[in-house]
Amino acid sequence: MEVLTGWWDDYFWGAVIVAKVFIASLSLMILFGLIGAGAKLSNSRVAQKIAGAYTVIFRGTPEILVILLLYFGSAILLTSIAQIFNPEIKFVDVPPFWAGTIAISIIVGSYATETFRGAFLGVNPGSIEAARALGMSTLQTFIYIRIPEMWRIALPPFGNHMLSLIKDTALISIIGLNETLFVAKQAITVTGKPFTMYIVVGAIYLGFSSVITLAVMAIEKFGNRTTIDAK
Amino acid sequence: MSFDLSLILESLPLMLAGIGITLKLLLVSGFLGLILAVALLLMRISGKFYLDWPAQAYIYVFRGTPILVQIFIIYYGLPQFEAVRDSIFWHILREPTGCAIVALTLNTGAYVSEILRGGVLGVDRGLLEAGSALGMSARHKFVYITTPIATRLSLPAYSNDVISLLKSTALASTITIADMTGIARTIVADTYAPYEIFISLAIVYMIFTLGLQKLFGVIERYLGRYTRRDG
Repeated sequence: MEVLTGWWDDYFWGAVIVAKVFIASLSLMILFGLIGAGAKLSNSRVAQKIAGAYTVIFRGTPEILVILLLYFGSAILLTSIAQIFNPEIKFVDVPPFWAGTIAISIIVGSYATETFRGAFLGVNPGSIEAARALGMSTLQTFIYIRIPEMWRIALPPFGNHMLSLIKDTALISIIGLNETLFVAKQAITVTGKPFTMYIVVGAIYLGFSSVITLAVMAIEKFGNRTTIDAK
Repeated sequence: MSFDLSLILESLPLMLAGIGITLKLLLVSGFLGLILAVALLLMRISGKFYLDWPAQAYIYVFRGTPILVQIFIIYYGLPQFEAVRDSIFWHILREPTGCAIVALTLNTGAYVSEILRGGVLGVDRGLLEAGSALGMSARHKFVYITTPIATRLSLPAYSNDVISLLKSTALASTITIADMTGIARTIVADTYAPYEIFISLAIVYMIFTLGLQKLFGVIERYLGRYTRRDG
C-alpha cells in the first residue's frame, strides 16, 4: 500500500473532477430529457420525429464514439471558425471537461427522454381532472399536479440513469480529462503498479455509485411519505 | 472544414474489416456472460447465505464500477502479479482480445443475472402452487414452470443489455484492439476527419442495434405466442 503514498491527493482531485462532471452533466441530462419528453408528448409531428431520431441515434451509438466525435469534431469546427478571423491560429479545442460533459449528458438524456415521457403518461388522469375541476390553469396543473406526481414515477429508472452518468465519466479520460483514471495512468508510469492504481479508481467509483444509490433510496422514501401503499 | 464523401467510401470498407472482431466480442462474451448470469442467479435464489452473499457482492462491485476501469484492471492490472503470469489463464490474459472478452463477460454477467432474477420473481405464484398440487418436485417446477416463463418475462430487458454490450465492445479499442471503433480511431488519427469517419461508423452501429432489436422482437413474439389474446 505504500506505493500509494503521495498519490492520494491526486486521486482526491481526480474524484473532485468526477463529481464536477457528474453535477454538470446531471443538470444537462435532466434538461435534454425534459426537452425530449416534451417534444415526444407534443402535438407537433416534426418535434416528435426529431425527438424520436434523438433517442434512436444516441441509444444505438457507443458512448466512446459520441465523446470522440464531439471532442474532435468541435475542435475542427472551432479551429476553422477561428482561422477565418486569424489565419495564424493552428488549433482551438473545446476543453475535454465540457466536450465530455455535454457528450455523456446527450447520451444519458436520450434514455431520460423515455423515462420522463413514461412518467408524464403515468400521471393519474383523475388528478388532472380534479385540478381542472378546482379551476387550476394548465400551468398550475403542470406545476402542482403533473410534476409532483411525475418525479415519483420517474425516480427509480432515473436513479439508474445517474449511475450510468457517473460510470460514463470514466470515458472522458480518453480525451484527456484529468479525472481518476487519468491520475491512475500517470501513477502507473511512475510506480509500475497498474493493478493497485486501477483498483483505487474502481473503489472511488464504487463509492460514488453507493452514495447515489443510497441517495435515491432516501429520496424515494421521502417522495412516498404521503402516499398510502395500496398493496 | 468540409464533408468529404469519398473519404467515407474509402474508409468504410476498412472499418467494416473490424466487424468480425466486434461480433466475436459481442457473441463470445454475450454467451459466456449468460452462463455466468445463470450461475449467479442460481446462487442468488438458492436461499443459502454462503452462496447468495458472494453473488450479491459480485453484482454490486461489477455494476458499481465503470466497464472501462474493469477492462484496464484486467488488461493492465493483472500482469502485475507473478502468479497470474505463471497461471494457465495467462495465454488468455496476455492477449488484449482475451482480456476484453473476460472483462465484458464479467460485466454483462452481473447485469444479466439481475435481469433474470427480475424474471424469476415475476413468475406467477399460482402457477408454482399448481405445480406443487400436481406433485412436481422443486427441480421440476424450476425447469418446467419458472424457466420458460422467466425467460419470456426477462427478454425485453435482456435485449437492452445485449445492445449495451454491443456498445461496450467499442471500449475494446482502448486496449489496442482493432475492432470497428479501433480502426476508425486509427483512420481519424491519420486523416483528421472525425465527422466523416465517426458519423459513418455510428450509422453502422445503429444498423446493428436496429437489427438486434428486430431479432429480439421476433424471439419475443415467438415466446409470447401463447399469451396473445387476439383472434
